[in-house]
Amino acid sequence: MKTMTPRFQVGDRVTVRDATTMFHTRTQGFTRGQTGTVVEHRPAWIVPEDEAFGIMENGRYTPFYVVRFKQTDLWPDYTGFEVDTLETECSEMWLEPAGKGKK
Amino acid sequence: MATTSTQYDQLQRQASNLSPADRLPLDSPYEISNELYDALRKVLHDVGGQPDTPVPFTEKGEEDWEMNTYLTCECLGWRGVWNSEERRRRENDLGATQYFGLPYYARWITVAAKALVDRGLITTDELGQKIDEVRTRLERKRS
Amino acid sequence: MSTTHSHAPLEESPLTEFEVLELAVRELAIEKGLFSADDHRRFSEWAEARTYTVGSRMTARSWLDPAFKERLLSNGTETSKEVGVDWLQPTGQGTPSDYTFFYVLENTPKVHNVIVCTLCSCYPRPVLGMSPDWYRTPNYRRRMVRWPRQVLAEFGLHLPPDVEVRVHDSNQKSRFMVMPMRPEGTDGWNEDQLAAIVTRDCLIGVALPRADVTASQVPKQPKGRSGGKKR
Repeated sequence: MKTMTPRFQVGDRVTVRDATTMFHTRTQGFTRGQTGTVVEHRPAWIVPEDEAFGIMENGRYTPFYVVRFKQTDLWPDYTGFEVDTLETECSEMWLEPAGKGKK
Repeated sequence: MATTSTQYDQLQRQASNLSPADRLPLDSPYEISNELYDALRKVLHDVGGQPDTPVPFTEKGEEDWEMNTYLTCECLGWRGVWNSEERRRRENDLGATQYFGLPYYARWITVAAKALVDRGLITTDELGQKIDEVRTRLERKRS
Repeated sequence: MSTTHSHAPLEESPLTEFEVLELAVRELAIEKGLFSADDHRRFSEWAEARTYTVGSRMTARSWLDPAFKERLLSNGTETSKEVGVDWLQPTGQGTPSDYTFFYVLENTPKVHNVIVCTLCSCYPRPVLGMSPDWYRTPNYRRRMVRWPRQVLAEFGLHLPPDVEVRVHDSNQKSRFMVMPMRPEGTDGWNEDQLAAIVTRDCLIGVALPRADVTASQVPKQPKGRSGGKKR
């Protein structure tokens, strides 16, 4: 397990990059372009973009984050309640400061 | 691509329209729209948020071959032949018909076999011969 | 299996091509020295022994022992050892599918947690055993992230509007278990009694423990107490 200095801090608002994905991804389509809040740090690991193709020794390590989204942000026709949330994890390469990316 | 939730929904609908039961006739068309290409190249396992109807949530213990598939795939990971993320990527590589058409563990064992072939650890003829040999042996054992 | 029957006994399923393929792959892998038959046997012994009752135990102990609960919430991976689960087993580096980062999600009066893996079927096998069939279906994966209250209702769980339903889409290296709140009517119960009402579904987050619903047995009531009485 490697220790890395994370670019984002707990409480930061972040937007998930809306990039084209070919063949495989661990960044769900429903999170793309969406803005949430960093709620926890996770240990650095090889990004799945490398791991999925067996690139381990030369795989890129990055910090990972738990990002919390409001369900009413993710789904405009959300049928639950305002308080509901969804958490998922993102590698640093998928995140940018909120407001910087296209939305 | 999903710049907005509305576009994402549109893509989801297009992707779900590719299901074997109800799909556009796809017979190597000379040209297709960019929208269809986006739907065709959508990463298969990314199903979160796709509309679906309620179904009974069934319980079923692992059958022997299912547990053995889990173990074989994990042993291949343990001894460094592959990793689990590669297995998941290879399941996507199966294509929609097999990804959604095969039982859960049948996807695993199919891509495990393919990974060994891709790495040159076994050959397809060797695999075919072994399959025939195992089938004959098990059939004889059960008859 | 007996070979004297003219046809297979009911419990013996007919030969499937998946069974044939698995054995073919396994035998070739062993012949080529990719792993050994002993590796397979050792992993099998480990996997067969996994059960959600470990999660039940951790929950019950947390209800009774605040210090244990604090350790579990702050370091799930390490604290699992106290109930006999080492996340580095059986390989010394954890299982290839589950790795070693384990987090416990505590339910509160204001937050209800539930787990799903939309991209595959990530599940905390070392503490909950093999995942239920429905957890791995595209149907559950599709709907839980977007219609969680409907899906929970299908499991019989209806939560009030002021309780935040927090869906955890397990998509990277972390594995999660939900720690439900201790239900009413369990005053004076010991750890075994409490563990018995924490079902697997409670630990996934699609059910809540109840004093009158047990996983495998009716908890024995302590003599001379009224703690477990149904209201």
